[in-house]
Amino acid sequence: MSKKIIKLTILCLVIPLVVVLGVVIFNDRAYSWVYMCVAVLSCIPLFISFEKRKSNTTLLVVLAVMIALSVAGRFIFSFLPHFKPVTAMVVITGIYLGYECGFVCGAFTAVISNFIFGQGPWTPFQMFSWGIIGLIAGLISKYIIDNKILLLIYAGLSGILYSLLMDVWTTFWYDGTFNVLRFFANVATAFPVTVSYVVSNIIFLLVLIKPFGEKLKRLKTKYGI
Amino acid sequence: MEDNKLNSFSSLHPLVLIVYFVTILVVSMFSTNPVLLFLSLVGGMMFFGMMNSRKAFFTDLAFYIPMFFLIAIINPLFSHNGVTPLFFMNGNPVTLEAILYGGNIALMLMAVVYWCKCYSKIMTTDKFLYLFGKVIPKLSLVLSMALRFIPLFREKHREFRMVQGASGLYDQKGFVNKIMCELKVFSALVTWSLENSVDTASSMKARGYGLKGRTHFSMYKFRKRDGIILAVNLLLFSVVAFGMGGGFVDFSFYPYVTEIETGAVQIVVYISLGVMSLLPFFTELWEVIVWKYSMSKI
Repeated sequence: MSKKIIKLTILCLVIPLVVVLGVVIFNDRAYSWVYMCVAVLSCIPLFISFEKRKSNTTLLVVLAVMIALSVAGRFIFSFLPHFKPVTAMVVITGIYLGYECGFVCGAFTAVISNFIFGQGPWTPFQMFSWGIIGLIAGLISKYIIDNKILLLIYAGLSGILYSLLMDVWTTFWYDGTFNVLRFFANVATAFPVTVSYVVSNIIFLLVLIKPFGEKLKRLKTKYGI
Repeated sequence: MEDNKLNSFSSLHPLVLIVYFVTILVVSMFSTNPVLLFLSLVGGMMFFGMMNSRKAFFTDLAFYIPMFFLIAIINPLFSHNGVTPLFFMNGNPVTLEAILYGGNIALMLMAVVYWCKCYSKIMTTDKFLYLFGKVIPKLSLVLSMALRFIPLFREKHREFRMVQGASGLYDQKGFVNKIMCELKVFSALVTWSLENSVDTASSMKARGYGLKGRTHFSMYKFRKRDGIILAVNLLLFSVVAFGMGGGFVDFSFYPYVTEIETGAVQIVVYISLGVMSLLPFFTELWEVIVWKYSMSKI
């Protein structure tokens, strides 16, 4: 009950308050402020619900392993630009460990890998984008867990979603407002990157889902997570 | 000790540090006033320069100066606002205002990038975990475990690669083969790490993780100096926020560039931000003076 109250208070009071305050203070860069707030504050209720949930130790450790693996994947495949298993790992975590773990896996992969690759104003947006991808994967896990075609469609879409969310951020960042022309220019310049996201997500999920599924299922039955 | 040139500021309490970085970043990200942005950039660059060797500083600068001009030049392609057309390109006016606005955005980007670089260097993971460990115990446990697993997995990955390479993997050339080999090694890594994690979890359970009364170890103590710097920082930030909120330092480029105002309020706001962005520099200076003074007494 208290979990719900905290969640609702944040959603109903704090977010609009911060947004309005920001618009008043930073009138010229109001849009970037709003977008930043949405990215940062929407993480909080999910983190709280993860924190309040009764979860066993094994699940926490397995989640840490999944995060570490997806960060390590960014290193292992560093010889191929934009061809990374991160999104695939986040989706797998979301499917097998639940939507909350999916979100945490996505968000933390962004934070941790940026400790190494460099923190910046883009960190909250990466957290948000990857987190959302893991969250959705967890919510629709029923449908995509045994249906390979739907899974691969979701993999492709999540690559596009990630790329578009980052383009929206770039647009706001440069102009302070949503300049449609600039947005399309960003989308166009990012097109090869988007394609390689989509292709890498599909390939990695295709290859990783079965072994990971088996390994995680085995852990579940063997140790009862 | 190359990495640890700035001892005074980084030894402050993590709470003071995070408040400082958040306030300076908020001002730099969301102000459009070129004076404020310039002051913030100067502070960020001096801070960065103090922490790095002169060579690293200038290599960095050589990258950012062309970027500055590039952003200033690209902006008029997307924005045709402004009242002073310089020339026409493809029937669209290239205006002075758009170029100046681009320059201002570049100034903001550089200031934010420099402050983020300083943040990365100062706010190490142990400080980060100390700050958030009490608020989000489970998440910070996951975070610190993941941070420990990464070097472990990299080491194991290297090991698996060597073993697999010795037994004939990676023998063929070509892109597909390379990827297939990497995936095989990755799969072995996953199996090992998942099994290993269950061991860790049962070990934690056996030692009573999750029971009440768990304490945290920390090396940080909130001292008088931390309190003074935090108070000064918040005071200066509230002056700047008052100036920004009250519209005293508003600045716009479209349709025409506003003049930089130099009234009493504006000067106070500018000085406040100037002092705020040079706070790390001043604490360092203070440390040197105290050191020299103590030495002279011996």
